Amino acid sequence: MSRSWRIAIVLGLFACAVVLVVFTAMAYIATSPPTVSYLDSQPPGATVHLVMQTDGVVGSATGGAAHPTWVSYRIRTPKTHAWTHTTLVYLPAHSRIDVTIYQFDSGSPLRNQHFGMVTGTIGNDAKLNGKTFKVLNSYDTPNGQGVGHTFTVPSLGINVPLEGNDTSKKTFCTYGPCDPATQLHTKTTFAFTTPGVGNYRFQCFIPCGGGRYAGNGGAMQTLGYMGGFLEVRA
Amino acid sequence: MSVDVTPAVGVGEVQPPASGLLSRRPAWLSQNLVTALILMVAGYAFGHWIGNVISSGRVWVTTAAENDAAIVLGLLFGVVGWLLGIGALNYPLAKLIGRDTVPQERTDWTKYFRFSLTHKVVGKQYLIMVLLFFFTGGLLAMAIRTELLTPTTHIIGPGTYISIVGEHGTIMMMMASSLVVGPLGNYLIPLMIGSRRMAFPRIEAASFWLFTAGYFVILTALPLGGFPTGWTGYAPLQNQAGVGMDSYLVGFLVISLGMILAGFNQIATIINYRAPGLTWGRMSIFVWSVLITSVLLATASPTLTIACVAGLLDRTVPTAFFLNVHGGSSYLWQNLFWFFGHPEVYIMALPGFGIVAELLPVFCRKPLFAYRVGAAGLVGVGLLSYFVWQHHLFQSGINPDMRPLFMLTTELISIPTGFVFLIGLGTIYKSKMRFEVPMLFCLAFYFNFLIGGITGVFLSDVPVNVTLHGGFFVLSHFHYTILGGLVFAFFGGVYYWTPKVLGKTLNKRLGQIHFWMMFVFFNLTFFPLFLVGLFDQPRRVFEYAVRLQTLNDFASVSAYLLGASFVVFVVNFVWSIWIDPKTAPANPWDSNGLEWQTESPPPWYNFERIPVVLADPYHYSEPVPVPVADLAPDNFAEAAGNGVAAAAMAGAGTGGASSGGSSAGTQDGSD
Repeated sequence: MSRSWRIAIVLGLFACAVVLVVFTAMAYIATSPPTVSYLDSQPPGATVHLVMQTDGVVGSATGGAAHPTWVSYRIRTPKTHAWTHTTLVYLPAHSRIDVTIYQFDSGSPLRNQHFGMVTGTIGNDAKLNGKTFKVLNSYDTPNGQGVGHTFTVPSLGINVPLEGNDTSKKTFCTYGPCDPATQLHTKTTFAFTTPGVGNYRFQCFIPCGGGRYAGNGGAMQTLGYMGGFLEVRA
Repeated sequence: MSVDVTPAVGVGEVQPPASGLLSRRPAWLSQNLVTALILMVAGYAFGHWIGNVISSGRVWVTTAAENDAAIVLGLLFGVVGWLLGIGALNYPLAKLIGRDTVPQERTDWTKYFRFSLTHKVVGKQYLIMVLLFFFTGGLLAMAIRTELLTPTTHIIGPGTYISIVGEHGTIMMMMASSLVVGPLGNYLIPLMIGSRRMAFPRIEAASFWLFTAGYFVILTALPLGGFPTGWTGYAPLQNQAGVGMDSYLVGFLVISLGMILAGFNQIATIINYRAPGLTWGRMSIFVWSVLITSVLLATASPTLTIACVAGLLDRTVPTAFFLNVHGGSSYLWQNLFWFFGHPEVYIMALPGFGIVAELLPVFCRKPLFAYRVGAAGLVGVGLLSYFVWQHHLFQSGINPDMRPLFMLTTELISIPTGFVFLIGLGTIYKSKMRFEVPMLFCLAFYFNFLIGGITGVFLSDVPVNVTLHGGFFVLSHFHYTILGGLVFAFFGGVYYWTPKVLGKTLNKRLGQIHFWMMFVFFNLTFFPLFLVGLFDQPRRVFEYAVRLQTLNDFASVSAYLLGASFVVFVVNFVWSIWIDPKTAPANPWDSNGLEWQTESPPPWYNFERIPVVLADPYHYSEPVPVPVADLAPDNFAEAAGNGVAAAAMAGAGTGGASSGGSSAGTQDGSD
């Protein structure tokens, strides 16, 4: 075999290796959940209305979910009002964010009552089904539903408990995305102000990773389910 | 006592068989890499099905929506399928049912894709595989440095980032544990001790194919969602992680089994297969380093094996070995892991010491300074390595009274390490160095390891450790010792022994370019990261303070160029070996090493006669050349009257032959 042939074979194999590596890397990176942008949802400086829901089961009907039986957040796309299965969201810097979270999951008593307190929001309070509250005591909530999840952003000091639902009701949502118009839910609203540019992790702090030790694995620690990022942009 | 120096049975008549001669099967019927891959996939499917049958419907499986038992059994059966497919289990299975085995050893190029019992083939297979490990881990390192180019804009998410960091660390640790003992140990040790083979060729080959299986298993972690623990796999995070964690545990389990087998095989070979006259005091320092490393491999790795088994049971059965709330202890994992993990550090370091100490006399043309002190230093490091592991637990909440003890033992280990360092400096002192490419790597080893070693002494100090724990300072420290130490020594060894192994010389110019790029950009990558660590940047986090971006960008660009240096090596290797090969002289470095006393590349049987070793290989500045070995011991009886032969006989009486049947007549090159 001539030297030219050998060089050609080596270059060909090298090109194949590069293509394989790039393809694999891109395919792997592309597994990251999508990002919903609220940057252009309102005129500059206006209040942004961020709408989310928490589902007890992501649901196979959604298609594409790697873990269809896990709990998860969803974010409503501002223009189409479609529910996107993600926990990545762009928000404008130094803006007031009015948050509405429809909570469709059941709840349980809190292990740590600290996470029943509302902190870091404007007024340090929130509204549950229209009623203002500062603390959600999981042991005396109506019908014993307890607290389902929290919306917690540690670096901003934000913690808002989300009350659970009674699973015995006929309209209880069995899998997401759930419909606030027809299915049983609690509605929690609150507001906060975004700081400067940065990435701020938010997460549910109620152990909800079923089947994993102390509920702290699975959905609880996975991006796109119960953990995500508020990416604040200029 | 007497030394049996009769020729081995058939030696002299034994010729390398013609293509396929040893195999009684046609090539397409015999087992090879393709059959191994097919049975691995089939094994995975079978194991996954079994796991689903066993565990489906269990509460913890239903609620987690992940079946760890299916994944674990799939991976384990995949490994069994791999071993079946490659032919590793033919012999034990045939013996179980009382049948003869069908030899499959081949001598054409396909032998490199088969279960070969020839130590030189296994050594070359290991070389390619460790390079595959190394470049895979290196690509992951490039991904890490790319993500760290900016603290605010992200290419990969935080979960993916920690998965890539964990995968990089685990792959590199797996690679480094076999980087020298695998390719260089398997290929060179029989040549350096005057043997025709390793003690247990099947175990040798099995250790390689287990190592290869470990590569595939650990790669499955990424598509299975990765693991969030980094390479240390701490519990209870280990128990909370997704199924990617199963790949980590099965991967380390498989690799540790391979390490145990490789270690025992090397120990048995070095003790029992030394040529007559090769006393402990005449053994080359590289063989000493492989021996001590092998003791560590054989005795430390079982701790990792059992830790991985316990971790897998926790995640599948589920037991609670590492769960405090159910009576277990997360400290148990930390102790088991680091009881393996710190000897593992020396499993990585000692062969590097051995290579540079072996090469320095050749290029300095001086005897190895204080040879016995160097060997004692290697033994000392090996022994002390078992008494330092809790310095990894200083911040874990262990009894504070234990910390000074482990600080002291950690600092103590710098003494035998210093021995090894000093023999190098003593050898270099007032020598006429030849700055060949392997020598450049040796000198760089001492420069880099000095920085890595000194920062290690800092980190052994409890107050400093508490401050710097978990940051980039620690990261830089161990990269200076492993990449700056072991990997530099490894490449020095590759340049040095390639003429022996392949009979070709690597291009000197490209070798120099490779060296200088690697040396400069290694230091430009990792020295700034010491500063980054002092400024509190934590490891395993994809975000960092904006003020550290300049230093991080500098390190990232340097890392890309460091990566490019390895491309130069690959180009050099492929060019010099296959595209434009230049036949190497028989002994291009004028080495006295026993491995250089036979042809290059060595014949199938290594030595035509089992040599009788007469002296250690470091007599470089003697006024009268001292022969290292008698390579034609047929004449030994005639020469027995002279002083040299008598000395060799005396040596043999205390070492080689008497210690375990290394008589020439028992060393048949065939298996």
